[in-house]
Amino acid sequence: MKVSIERSTLMKAMSRAQSVVERRNTIPILANVLIEAEGDKIAFRATDLDIEVLDTAPAVVSQAGATTVGAHTLHEIVRKLPEGAMVELSDDGTAGRLEISAGRSHFSLATLPKEDFPVMASSEYECNFSVKASVLKRLLDKAKFAISTEETRYYLNGIYMHAAEGAQGKALRCVATDGHRLAQVDAPLPAGAETLPGVIVPRKTVGEVMKLLDDDEAAIAVSVSETKVRFATPEVTLTSKVIDGSFPDYTRVIPQGNNKRLEVDAAEFARAVDRVSTVSSERSRAVKLALDEDRLVLSVNAPDSGAADEELAVAYADEPLEIGFNAKYLLEIAGQVDRENAVFMFNSSGDPTLMREGNDDSAVYVVMPMRV
Amino acid sequence: MNAFDPNISQRQPIRQLDDAAANRIAAGEVVERPASAVKELVENALDAGARRIDVTYADGGKTLIRVSDDGHGIPAGELPLALARHATSKIDGSDLLNIRSFGFRGEALPSLGAVGRLTITSRYGKDEAARIAVNGGAIGAVEPAALTRGTVVELRDLFHATPARLKFLRTDRAEAQAISDVIKRLAMAEPSVGFTLRDVSGGGEGALKFRADPENGDMFDALAGRLRTILGADFIDNALPIDAEREGLILTGYAALPTYSRGAAVAQFLFVNGRPVRDKLLIGALRGAYADFLSRDRHPAVALFLACDPERVDVNVHPAKAEVRFREPGLARGLIVSTLKHALAEAGHRASTTVSTATLGAFRAETRGHYQMDLASRATLSYRQPDRPQSGFAEFAPSARVEPVHSAEETSPEGVEALPLGAARAQLHENYIVAQTDDGMILVDAHAAHERLVYEKLKRQMAENGVAAQVLLIPEIVELGADDRAAILNAADSLAPLGLTIEPFGGNAVCVRETPAILGEVNATAMIHDILDELSDLGQTQTVKDRIEAILSRVACHGSVRTGRRMSGPEMNALLREMEATPHSGQCNHGRPTYVKLKMTDIERLFGRS
Repeated sequence: MKVSIERSTLMKAMSRAQSVVERRNTIPILANVLIEAEGDKIAFRATDLDIEVLDTAPAVVSQAGATTVGAHTLHEIVRKLPEGAMVELSDDGTAGRLEISAGRSHFSLATLPKEDFPVMASSEYECNFSVKASVLKRLLDKAKFAISTEETRYYLNGIYMHAAEGAQGKALRCVATDGHRLAQVDAPLPAGAETLPGVIVPRKTVGEVMKLLDDDEAAIAVSVSETKVRFATPEVTLTSKVIDGSFPDYTRVIPQGNNKRLEVDAAEFARAVDRVSTVSSERSRAVKLALDEDRLVLSVNAPDSGAADEELAVAYADEPLEIGFNAKYLLEIAGQVDRENAVFMFNSSGDPTLMREGNDDSAVYVVMPMRV
Repeated sequence: MNAFDPNISQRQPIRQLDDAAANRIAAGEVVERPASAVKELVENALDAGARRIDVTYADGGKTLIRVSDDGHGIPAGELPLALARHATSKIDGSDLLNIRSFGFRGEALPSLGAVGRLTITSRYGKDEAARIAVNGGAIGAVEPAALTRGTVVELRDLFHATPARLKFLRTDRAEAQAISDVIKRLAMAEPSVGFTLRDVSGGGEGALKFRADPENGDMFDALAGRLRTILGADFIDNALPIDAEREGLILTGYAALPTYSRGAAVAQFLFVNGRPVRDKLLIGALRGAYADFLSRDRHPAVALFLACDPERVDVNVHPAKAEVRFREPGLARGLIVSTLKHALAEAGHRASTTVSTATLGAFRAETRGHYQMDLASRATLSYRQPDRPQSGFAEFAPSARVEPVHSAEETSPEGVEALPLGAARAQLHENYIVAQTDDGMILVDAHAAHERLVYEKLKRQMAENGVAAQVLLIPEIVELGADDRAAILNAADSLAPLGLTIEPFGGNAVCVRETPAILGEVNATAMIHDILDELSDLGQTQTVKDRIEAILSRVACHGSVRTGRRMSGPEMNALLREMEATPHSGQCNHGRPTYVKLKMTDIERLFGRS
């Protein structure tokens, strides 16, 4: 194998591939990236056995071939090479070394046989559709904060992607919950997604997919089967196993009858929550919301370290209410609002509270109160 | 074909077992090993009002057990009756609830007679002494004998009539150990009675295994003396006297400081009305009382005596009377937990003397090492490390930096040295504080001490503010067995204040609605199972509290002064004063000491000045 490639092109391809490679591996080959050169392209394949990223880049291939080499080391080398350098990768297939030259720098890295590299079995995808990068980004970004980190409830360790009947007709819906709060985000259902089986996309996959979505206008090809999901741009293909479990029936916990409506500027609200919660040193800081006509008082009371309250002018016309929340949860859901005011719908101090942006039903959040 | 199939095996007619067989079966319950025979016989001697009890055994008690006492004895005419089943002088049978003696079942002697060769020699008052023998259940005739006073019960060839039981006995050594344990436990409960224990396996006088002379003085002094004999001076020096009463229940005895804990539950001696017991309720209460001071793999050392009106405790639960049942279990538990906690809180920052003894030991070894050095090598090898620069900069070397307290007036106001932890003088290795007191010096592990102080503060806050509960979006349904379900629902009321709300759900399931917010995301199923395990083991649960406190402890570790931080004089003094004011500051969260104290006399001893 002998390939010549421009440093920044190599850098971009390598960085996407190496990010799925775990820092510490018990199987040595998993620390490697599989490099395949053929035609006028070079392909990098990396996997952690759950996710596989295949990244292709244009290159001058003078001799086709394939090998595997430590992903993080190669990435570090490329990163430190000067901008604009031409990088030459060569492996004669006998010495067990990949030679890397750029200008006057020369590196020689140990390789492992390409035959040992685990390539994810291809499978039949029963549902294929295309979605704009910006749409997919919004779906994942707004839901991912609510993903559970509790390993025993593995079926909550991801985003549940499925086709649903939304407020504005058929929707591609992403849901995540950790048992304390829930996010449900909808987008118009793309053509071809009607048969989408519900799949739980793991947390790590969500993070990796987000990295592919820098170009808002790009079309992402999504393929889904019972066990796998694939996201593809023209250069990169990311294939991931999905979580084998059933997502709980989340529709039951989204409150329908909450009738106390609070409208507040989300950013101002978040800043106020952040300020008052400073006085409590506890890990789970409880913030109390006291609602009265057009008035919201946020307060934190930590008898030993102090107390804080802040009054906000809000739109509220229902009967007075007092309710407590984990400050972190409030900050996180308020952070999902970017254009309009946050609208909270309460029922009582022990019931789930619903939040959405203005009257937009395409993204709703549920947060459970805290009893202090 | 299966021989155990009940439909196929041939039916045998129902038969009345003869007395010998019945007695052997009963003996199996009461006498399971030589030690239980010793226990029955010694208890009889105590019930007879003995002031001296001598116990002799051979071959781990398998060939000989002899118990001699100076009690009131048995009249010759009653000797045959003493060997009959359900015959006793201790109760009249009208009230099984009001039992004031050790024995009452009238089973010990006939049982022993059924499984071994038993001889009783006794002299009642001024009567002539008499003897009766029973061999494998066959009672002999009463014969005249010679004895000055009391009763001698001799049991030879225990279990010769039940060879199966003999096979299950442990080695002679292990059985002898068990006998010794029994005697020690009984001796603890009766400080005013003298005990001796002899092993005559080799014939002749044998070897004296244990001796406790009758103790005089008031009850506490006598008990302290007896415990010193049995458990060693270390125990008494590190134990707190306990004396409390609540609604007619009286708790006395000694409880050791947490820093004097053990790796196994071997030093826990519990007595109810003078009767040694191993009762789940009491052991659970003990664990509860020490929960805060010891990690789970350490066990407190105690000798506690619970006394109450015999009517309020049922001792007729267990054939060997090792378990008891209280009429008000909550009261007994509450008394133990609160009394011990209170006593430990008062002892506050006291760390055990074993700690400072160990320190002294460490110091001494080093002294000897230097002493052996000959003069020539002392001249070349300087006391300091040889490669250390000899210049005046040595004192700035960070590794052994001594931070002197700058101004005595500013940092050590009048009388500070009279306080328990004294006045801070210096900090060594950027952690250890050296303080001077009126009668010695104190070495404090600043990090461990501060960690404990922060932890106590966090716990106090938690107690004052209550535990916030996070309501669950999707209540967790936990499937359990019917018994477990009932048990956990029973405990639900005590779990609710800790932020864990459990409600009944259909079938055998419970529903977890709220979890403690501080724990973040909780695996409720695993937690419920852990709680249940603990409930069945100990009859109470610490799981939720433990987890919350584990989090607090972690927070405390992050929020405390780290090793490597130099402290100023006022800072060090402030830490010492706060330690004095904070309960339980004598040990860190894992039962390790936070400071050691060297008395002036200890220091003088180090230099041979005493």
